[in-house]
Amino acid sequence: MDRRHFIGQSAAALGLLAGFSGQARANLQKAEILVIGGGYGGATAAKYLRLFSNNTAKVTLIEPNASFVSCPLSNLVIGGSRTLADLTTPYDNLSKRHGIKIIQDSVASIDADKKTVKLASGKTLRYDKAIVSPGVTLMMNSIEGLAQANQAGVTLQAWKAGPETVALHKQLAAMRDGGTFVISVPEAPYRCPPGPYERACQVANYLKHNKPKSKVLILDANQDVTSKGALFKKVWAEQYPGIVEYLPKYNVTAVDAKTKTIKFEVQDDIKADVLNLLPAMSAGEIAVKTGLANSNGRWVNVNWLNFESTAQKDIHVLGDSIQVANAMPKSGHMANQHAKVAAAAIVAELSGWEVNPAPVLTNTCYSFVNDREVVHVASVHQYNAAEKTFKPVPGAGGLSPAPSTLEGVYAWGWAHNIWADSLG
Amino acid sequence: MRAKYLKPAILVSIYLGLNHWSAAAFAQNTDASNLYQRGLAATCANCHGTDGKGVVEGGMPLINNLTSEQMLTQLKAFKSGAREGTIMPQLAKGYSDEQLETIANQLGKK
Repeated sequence: MDRRHFIGQSAAALGLLAGFSGQARANLQKAEILVIGGGYGGATAAKYLRLFSNNTAKVTLIEPNASFVSCPLSNLVIGGSRTLADLTTPYDNLSKRHGIKIIQDSVASIDADKKTVKLASGKTLRYDKAIVSPGVTLMMNSIEGLAQANQAGVTLQAWKAGPETVALHKQLAAMRDGGTFVISVPEAPYRCPPGPYERACQVANYLKHNKPKSKVLILDANQDVTSKGALFKKVWAEQYPGIVEYLPKYNVTAVDAKTKTIKFEVQDDIKADVLNLLPAMSAGEIAVKTGLANSNGRWVNVNWLNFESTAQKDIHVLGDSIQVANAMPKSGHMANQHAKVAAAAIVAELSGWEVNPAPVLTNTCYSFVNDREVVHVASVHQYNAAEKTFKPVPGAGGLSPAPSTLEGVYAWGWAHNIWADSLG
Repeated sequence: MRAKYLKPAILVSIYLGLNHWSAAAFAQNTDASNLYQRGLAATCANCHGTDGKGVVEGGMPLINNLTSEQMLTQLKAFKSGAREGTIMPQLAKGYSDEQLETIANQLGKK
């Protein structure tokens, strides 16, 4: 080897290296990243893919709704103290401020082998990375007669905030004084563990002031209240005596729309005036259809470092659709946190870097027990490399000691900030 | 001729190679590590705003008026229990001291 030869080789090696790092940057800039679903998970993922890539990644968000309506706080609309407009945020800041392409459409199918997505409108899009964040599907067939009762307008779920939320408030407002409003809770896991109990409080608060002879009956398929149990029970006893009745281990199996009768696995039938029946839930339909729901056919197993589906490469799944880790709730806050870990991991991967080996998640969840007072539950989840999962940190997190108006202010503070963090 | 150049060539090669690799690795590690730090600070954004810029008069205490030093002092006070609160004492206990320092460095007033 002579000097010239050596210099030539070194130059070639340097060129190769420069090319390699340039290639990694190009991968990030060229990659087509499709985000399916613009809820707390998807919207946040789209925004943070842009932030974490210093606005270089190409991000498209596919969402059927024209604007975002928050499920958290929507129980206040059912109780009548807020309107849906209070909970609605437009999507346009994601395009105007962050350069995200927004397609208002839904996804008909995903071809994971060809890496394409077919939209309901018929168009096909190619992806290098897909983020699937479709929330939950309500399994209407899990309660006999529920689909028919829904069609007849007798039962409503209002578990995805929108027109049904307003319709359920109207049913409550139209109910006779002395009537019974039933909320049924499916077996866990389901979206928003404290949601049904908060809803019971909101309905009870309305009844207390407007129809005091009426009742809220909570029919719970679970052994006990699944979240903030002691706090909710204390509120029901102290603020809504004679209005809220809680019945655990009541598993609804059927409903008769004509007679408004609910049937159970074990107990006698119950008749009610307003029937808010929540069936079992699974991952969002598109996740199940794509074969991603590899946990019991209902939820999606993911790699916790990047939220990639264990069933399909380059499809990352967030939020309520995933099979959760220990003590991890299906909440909007958690979906937002999943999204940031996934977005950072995708940016790292496309840049040729190792993904963060020690991500952290938090959860905070506020429940209104009337129109002003709130209780919370909070937790912190650190990644455990030995067990390859997130684990709640012992000694961290916890509950409110009691309902307070201060936390009522913070609950709205949380809402305004998370809406801005996800969509602003 | 060959032998004369071989030895220095190897030395230069090792020198250049190491230098280049360590520089590349350093650049990569710095960028990656910045990303991890941004990711950690983003766990606060749900309540306190993207990059710590909270919604003004949104109902949540604002944190972007604190320097990194002031923020770290408050976070440690929440963690130790010296400062009372609602959610913050519970959340601060979930982070290591090093993580709290990273968060304060990321979100503190520059």
